[in-house]
Amino acid sequence: MTGTSIASMAWRNLWRNRRRTIITLSSIAFGVLLAVLFTGLGDRSWRDTIDLAARMGGGHVTIQHPGYQDAPSLKRSITDVGGLERVVRQAGDVTHAVPRIVGQTMLATAGKSYGTVFVAIDPALESTRTLAMLEALDDGSMFAGPDDEGIILGSKLAENLGAGMGRKVVYTMTDRQGEIVSGLARVSGIVHTGAASVDSALCFLPIGTVRSVLGYAPDEATQLAVFVEDHRNSEAVATQLNAELGGRAAALTWRQVQPELAGFISMKVGGTLVFEIIIGILVAAGIFNTLFMSVMERMREFGILTAIGFGPGRLFGLVMWESLFMALTGIATSVVVTIGPYLHFYLNGIDFSAMVGEGGSDVAGVVIDPIMHVQIYPENALFIAGAVVLATMLAGLYPAWRAGRVEPVEAIKLV
Amino acid sequence: MSTSTTPIVSLGDVKKTYRQGKLDVPALRGLTFDVHPGEFLAICGPSGSGKTTTLNIIGALDVATSGSVTVDGRELAGMSRSALSRLRRDRIGFVFQAYNLVPVLSAYENAEMVLALKGVKASTRKERVMKLLADVGLTGMEHRRPDQLSGGQQQRVAIARAIASDPAVVLADEPTANVDSETADRLLGIMEALNRDRGVTFIFSTHDPRVMERARRLIRLVDGRVSTDERRG
Repeated sequence: MTGTSIASMAWRNLWRNRRRTIITLSSIAFGVLLAVLFTGLGDRSWRDTIDLAARMGGGHVTIQHPGYQDAPSLKRSITDVGGLERVVRQAGDVTHAVPRIVGQTMLATAGKSYGTVFVAIDPALESTRTLAMLEALDDGSMFAGPDDEGIILGSKLAENLGAGMGRKVVYTMTDRQGEIVSGLARVSGIVHTGAASVDSALCFLPIGTVRSVLGYAPDEATQLAVFVEDHRNSEAVATQLNAELGGRAAALTWRQVQPELAGFISMKVGGTLVFEIIIGILVAAGIFNTLFMSVMERMREFGILTAIGFGPGRLFGLVMWESLFMALTGIATSVVVTIGPYLHFYLNGIDFSAMVGEGGSDVAGVVIDPIMHVQIYPENALFIAGAVVLATMLAGLYPAWRAGRVEPVEAIKLV
Repeated sequence: MSTSTTPIVSLGDVKKTYRQGKLDVPALRGLTFDVHPGEFLAICGPSGSGKTTTLNIIGALDVATSGSVTVDGRELAGMSRSALSRLRRDRIGFVFQAYNLVPVLSAYENAEMVLALKGVKASTRKERVMKLLADVGLTGMEHRRPDQLSGGQQQRVAIARAIASDPAVVLADEPTANVDSETADRLLGIMEALNRDRGVTFIFSTHDPRVMERARRLIRLVDGRVSTDERRG
């Protein structure tokens, strides 16, 4: 008997008990729906979060002094930023590379002073694709140039300092010689991100002005923030850059620069994976039950088939074909069942605002959008489909083995 | 139909004992007889006399506890599962009391199955199966599934399936038990014709007096032994 006719028989066998097959297909589709939505929710929200973290921090890959990560200090700067940028541009998938000076400063107004983080930027090089806070510029405007005399404050910090638009603020920092240096700026903008940890402890300064205050050279900075098209390439880009930089600077991924965020995401992804594995086991148990019942109900028939010349291998193959058809039909059903909800949540997202509250939510200083969209990576969708086929085939192994081991004389006696 | 001298089935002191709990229950107590090509033989006897066990052992579905069983010149003892499977496929046809057709296959596909298992070409299969279905009176019903056929029609498909691969012997276990007397007569007529015209060897296990009446050899079993072995005309 040819493979085709065994397959044809298996296909027909699949529909002998329509109701049971439909219930099993429904359970596969339900499992796939949940897996796709949860994976898609994770893929999209973590991609958005990581991209946002990159735009709020030092990029997907940060190039900085080799000792900066362990002991951040304005003494540990990188030079020849232009040369580094040319190296970076040659690495694959890089979209932007911008120099910045990041450090600690003390801000003081007439009546109050606060310690905070400052980020010195070149307004000509920055955009919302590199600096998320530009989207949150609530009041005022971006610096006119790198030597501007303005300062942009987080909204809570401005409130704490009692510094409104146009007010004078003195910033004090320690230069590379350990000397205290200071500069005077006027508040030219207020950013309101919604993340309390950002709004209360961050300010922006023009990079040229800060270089002058700190005594930095024109091509000197503390970091070169590198942005890639797909955050999953960060590791590869960092590895490539480290090889090319040869120790004169270190390229760190966002995971290394923001370990709290990386840990949080890993934990969440792990939790989702465990949840999906549990769903997978439940679905596989349902498939196993269907296939096993289907085989046990047909033991007499298998006995007859054995009597007329079906060998154990053919019977095993017959049930495995049934498993394969179950899997493929399950995937087709899953596509039909999943596509509607997927498109809905892809376009409209799921609004968690009520759960998050008005204050918003942030992880390690990165604001999480309360409206979460679903968008699965194609390889993850293929993985889910592959897992369905694998689980179904595995669930079919034992029933197929039982079918192949049938004793015809015993089976034929069964009614 | 005359019979040749080389037996197609040969049983020599065949014993079969079943284990039921702690008890050994003898089903066959030393059965010896030969069946020659072209015979139309019925094995009869009361319930528990060992008719079906004898058929199962000849059909390589069950294994004798002791003794020698030869089918088509091959000793069954010691043959592997797959070798027995091939022997059944190639040299033995089965007709069961309950028809036992594959419900998802049509009459044509059921009859064709053994040929397909043997790897016979599709065109040859079609020619042979259509002829067989015509011989058993099922022309025009080739595409019907078993649940669209009467009991008698299903049994005719089973007969076609049994003889499709030109087996050395067809084993029929109570083939008329589930059909009315008119259908039983028609089925027996078909099998007689196949025996007469194609030389197919039939061995029946039966209670049915009509089968016993038309058999040309009648072996009567009592308590797992041959009580009488009667040859007719």
